[in-house]
Amino acid sequence: MPAFGSFALLVALALSGYNLLAGAVALRQLATGTRGAIAPERLAETARRAGIASFLAATCAAFALVWAAFTNDFSVAYIAEHANRALPGPYKFAALWSGQEGSLLLWAWLLSAYGFVLRVRHKVDVKLTAYASTILAAVQVFFLLLVNIAATPFSLVTGPIPPDGNGLNPLLQYPEMVIHPPMLYLGYVGFSVPFAFALGALMMRYPGEKWIHITRRWTMVTWLFLTIGIFLGAHWAYSVLGWGGYWGWDPVENASLMPWLTGTAFLHSVMMQEKRGMMKSWNVWLIFSTFMLSILGTLLTRSGLVSSVHAFAQSSIGNWFWVFLVITLAVCTFVYILNRDHLKTDHKLESLVSRESSFLFNNLVLLAACFTVLWGTLFPVLSEYVQGNRVTVSAPFYNRVAVPIGVFLLFLTGIGPLLAWRSTSTRSIRKNFVIPAIAALIVAIAVIPLGVHPWTILTTDHQGAFYSWVTFMMAAFVATAILAEFLRGARVIQRHTGRNLLSSVVQLTRRNTRRYGGYIVHFGVVVIFIGLAGSAFNQSIEKTLNYKQSMSIGPYRIECLDYSQDSNPNYDTEFALLNVYRDGRKVTQLAPELRFYTASQQPSTIVANHSTLAWDLYVIYAGKDASTGQPVIKAFLNPLVAWIWIGLIITVLGTGVALFPNLSAAVAAQRSRVTVPDEAVTAGRAGD
Amino acid sequence: MTTIACGLLLIGTFLYVFWPERNIEAQRTKTRLEYLRERREVLFENLRDLNFEYRAGKYPEEDYAAQRATLENEAAEVVAEIDLLESDVLAAPQHT
Repeated sequence: MPAFGSFALLVALALSGYNLLAGAVALRQLATGTRGAIAPERLAETARRAGIASFLAATCAAFALVWAAFTNDFSVAYIAEHANRALPGPYKFAALWSGQEGSLLLWAWLLSAYGFVLRVRHKVDVKLTAYASTILAAVQVFFLLLVNIAATPFSLVTGPIPPDGNGLNPLLQYPEMVIHPPMLYLGYVGFSVPFAFALGALMMRYPGEKWIHITRRWTMVTWLFLTIGIFLGAHWAYSVLGWGGYWGWDPVENASLMPWLTGTAFLHSVMMQEKRGMMKSWNVWLIFSTFMLSILGTLLTRSGLVSSVHAFAQSSIGNWFWVFLVITLAVCTFVYILNRDHLKTDHKLESLVSRESSFLFNNLVLLAACFTVLWGTLFPVLSEYVQGNRVTVSAPFYNRVAVPIGVFLLFLTGIGPLLAWRSTSTRSIRKNFVIPAIAALIVAIAVIPLGVHPWTILTTDHQGAFYSWVTFMMAAFVATAILAEFLRGARVIQRHTGRNLLSSVVQLTRRNTRRYGGYIVHFGVVVIFIGLAGSAFNQSIEKTLNYKQSMSIGPYRIECLDYSQDSNPNYDTEFALLNVYRDGRKVTQLAPELRFYTASQQPSTIVANHSTLAWDLYVIYAGKDASTGQPVIKAFLNPLVAWIWIGLIITVLGTGVALFPNLSAAVAAQRSRVTVPDEAVTAGRAGD
Repeated sequence: MTTIACGLLLIGTFLYVFWPERNIEAQRTKTRLEYLRERREVLFENLRDLNFEYRAGKYPEEDYAAQRATLENEAAEVVAEIDLLESDVLAAPQHT
């Protein structure tokens, strides 16, 4: 099987290489009108087919590696390093992306899968797709060169074949780890497609904005995968790393956030290009940047350039990525300079108080956030290069900058939809802003008795309460604005069809899924922000607990019922059984664990969490006290965390709605006729 | 077994890539007329959105009127150019 896997990778590289070369030659011939021995159309068709076939070859290679993991083929060095016999089945599957070589193979395979879909659906615009397919083939060639030369997943072990493998990193032996990396990679890799279309459209000076329409779903699906991937990663960090938080501004977390920020900016600003033919150069560079940041993210994760708890693979492949990044930047810049006159804007910004300016501010804020994250992530590397010593940037730096940016972004989420295209009059502002502003004011006052005291910023260094207060206020503003948008639209439908309000809301959403799906996504973001705002009020306590001893945090009392140990072929475990009481009544029993994995000889924390809508009681088993042998229990009370995951679900649903095609105007009209009285229909027919 | 699998993969992909295809999709360059038709659809959609938002009570009368006039002027220019190009297209065969 390893030989077959290696051969399949080689075939995939040859096919992608052919796709790139034959595709480029055919496009050149078609552009210049020259003809070779083979007609350019036929050459282009063989190139497209080679791209499709590369997916089959890459799939064979990925299958060979998974097969090796499931059959415990420890003659393959990668399998010996990342799997063992006792590893449960799903984690053997996850071994595919748990190390460098495997994760690069996953990149190459996903890229060929995206390419497969793009090439099969080429009839949407044959010429534009041919350009995009050739560009995508170039990216494929890079990743296939990596897995064929620099990081080969099918290398054989030197010397005798070990009887068992080293096992999977314990931190990765968690259910979310089976889906988090593929999601993240689907996001990273997926941005290659809109990038390829954008670069292709610029190369061929594609008239109009239809390329945006073609790539809209690609971009949204990719953004959705990346969003889910980021949040699954946050949930994994929360559930496994055992430090009580979900986001630590770790370089690898940041690496996934950066393309997400520019991708989000792109999703918004392309609307200006579609609707008004504005910001064409900006959009092209946004998607170029997003793609390059995805590559940078992979570089950071895989090269060991920065230290991270998430960087599971470290090696010298960084040089390959740097070269690829420089070539990509050079090609993008060259193509842009050559064709920049094609990107002249159709309209100029007419007013600072308009939908366009809100998109522009949204973009600037997102890019400011991205730059902050990039600067903080690369600062240790830059400081080492300039000063000779590595200066690490920690969470307070990011929080100081990112929190105000996030709150402002939330504010823009609310005001954007209330502003008109071109310019908004003062009367219109008054008309649309009054109700959301009143809602914000009510919430701002209502949260004060609940313990949110913004004035603490005046007397202490603690800014959390102030920002939480502003966030709650903004959340109320945005949620009300969104609700008002739905109600206004639904009432128009209601007036015309006589449907009830709920049915009208559904009809409204189906008529313009992109807009109203987008509003649902915005509402999801509001809910996520509410969850994030709770972190300003986190509490924690650590105590050694003997039998029947207890400790209190917030409204909870935690009592130690028992502590013990257990073992299975994969790991040994120590755990405590804790009864949790609230107001004298037992609410749950928690069992935090500390596992010690046999194969890798590494420990791992298994958090016990009692989650409610108000807060999470998050408990970890921090080991045994050296002197007494009793368990050390650390408990955190984290308010509103559940809302972050609820917000993610709403965001996913909203994106799903936005991906649905609109109900056509004709169908909508037909439906509305159903409610017309029978006699009117009869009269109409008689008239015919 | 491995050799057979490798051989099958190689031969299968080679045949798929180079198998003679009779109906090859032509790579057409988009015409100005097609571009204008797309632009017209976008402008009509913008007008529909504006009308809907006005009926939803989002904009005052004067804002609506001003925006509608701008969009209609823009649409009129595009439609006029489409008409011109379409008449040229219709006239072209008669000249040949």
